[in-house]
Amino acid sequence: MGRLFVAAVLLFVAGCSGGSDAVPGGSKIDTLLAKAPVYTGQVTPGSAVDRIKKRGKLLIGGSQDAPLLSQLDPISGELTGFDAYLGKLLAQYIVGKPSTELLSATSETREPLLANGTVDVILQTYTITPAREERVSFAGPYYESGQAIAVRKGTSGIAKPADLAGKTVIVGANTPGVKAVRDAAPTAKIVEFGSDPECVTALKQSRGDAYVQDQAILVADASKDSELQLVGEPFTEDPYGIGIKHGDAEFTKFVNDWLREIGKSGLWQDVWKQTIGTVVTGDAPAPPAIAS
Amino acid sequence: MSLVLEGFLNTVALTLLSFAGALLAGLLVAVLRIVPVPLLRGVGAVYVEVWRNIPLLAWLVLFVFGLPEVGVKMPLFWTAFTAIALYEAAFVAEALRSGVNSVAAGQGEAARALGLSFRQTLRHVILPQAARRVVQPLANIAIALTMATALAGVVGVVDMTRAAQRINLELAQPLLVFTGVGLCYLVMAAGIGFGARVLERRLA
Repeated sequence: MGRLFVAAVLLFVAGCSGGSDAVPGGSKIDTLLAKAPVYTGQVTPGSAVDRIKKRGKLLIGGSQDAPLLSQLDPISGELTGFDAYLGKLLAQYIVGKPSTELLSATSETREPLLANGTVDVILQTYTITPAREERVSFAGPYYESGQAIAVRKGTSGIAKPADLAGKTVIVGANTPGVKAVRDAAPTAKIVEFGSDPECVTALKQSRGDAYVQDQAILVADASKDSELQLVGEPFTEDPYGIGIKHGDAEFTKFVNDWLREIGKSGLWQDVWKQTIGTVVTGDAPAPPAIAS
Repeated sequence: MSLVLEGFLNTVALTLLSFAGALLAGLLVAVLRIVPVPLLRGVGAVYVEVWRNIPLLAWLVLFVFGLPEVGVKMPLFWTAFTAIALYEAAFVAEALRSGVNSVAAGQGEAARALGLSFRQTLRHVILPQAARRVVQPLANIAIALTMATALAGVVGVVDMTRAAQRINLELAQPLLVFTGVGLCYLVMAAGIGFGARVLERRLA
């Protein structure tokens, strides 16, 4: 029943929109903020940076239910994770204080939210793809991720992505895993569940033979649950970008400059250590090279 | 394209089967609520209050993840079908019951005064009048049920909405994709509405 309760609670949390998070809390983000840069250069009147500065907070489209990346702590009300902290640091850079407001975005609302100006940026494991680049501009990539495979301990016959052919594969709804499985094993039957805890429960209840998800999330799951086992290394490269209104080259360059700066200063690595690095062993990787 | 078709067919199948199941279960519950046995009436009332007062999404999650914990594991489609049918049955039961109640008590009394038995009273006096009056409320429930099948996508069923989300994940054209899906639901709902009007005229 415990798992069930968690799944139910997560569903409800995910369903609640809004989640104003203007007050920074928690020691992790405080230590990061202490090192965070603040932009002091010229601001073009009427530009995105100008608007955000005048508003006094950064409007972010993102998730509340992505462990290690952007997860709302239901008790403290604090948003934690790699994407969440980057959002706070970007707000600090622009506004001078880490005031952000998270609007729940989903894969079907991200492009419209940017196009109509409801949010300033999308920070939501938003993989840069050619199809999407026709609709939105991307700063970054700010993180290189990869989809990996998890199975129930003791499962045989699944050692590489091609082995998924003909099998039933569980993936998170609307995650890059959907496409990853389709590309790696077109004959695999895909079953989607709304959240990571549901996917894990479904795998344990044999609703599928394998679970494909971002490696960092799977590592976190396996560290909490001994029934899970990771198979091999990540088999895709998913460059996550920060979504920006299509065609806003000035703001894209601004965010890219900021990403380069925090990459150089070591702040990016600190954010990684505080979030994904708590479950993935080893040193922080080098931040991905910024394209333009 | 096969994904679109799969999603559409699953939505249609889930809608038709769930509504058929809801009608059957709802009829049973409605009878429980009408019969002159206090215990059975109580059972019917409890059923309606428990099922309709908990959100369908919660039922779906409970059925999909809870039942396997107690050893009952059905395919996802049939799990979703069961949850939706049992949930909507509560609404169907209430629609049927209010239809029967809408027939004035004097009609039943008159039938009995004429010497008709309980069964004859129901068959020739109460039900023909009640049937006409429940057509539109049932059509409302059927349309709501059509839309509610989209929730099955959250628990692994590839319905029309889930298929659209998968397609949108690659195309990044949500307005286009979801307008298309919306039109599909509109056609289905309009079909139900049309069927209800025809049925109502027949029963009149």
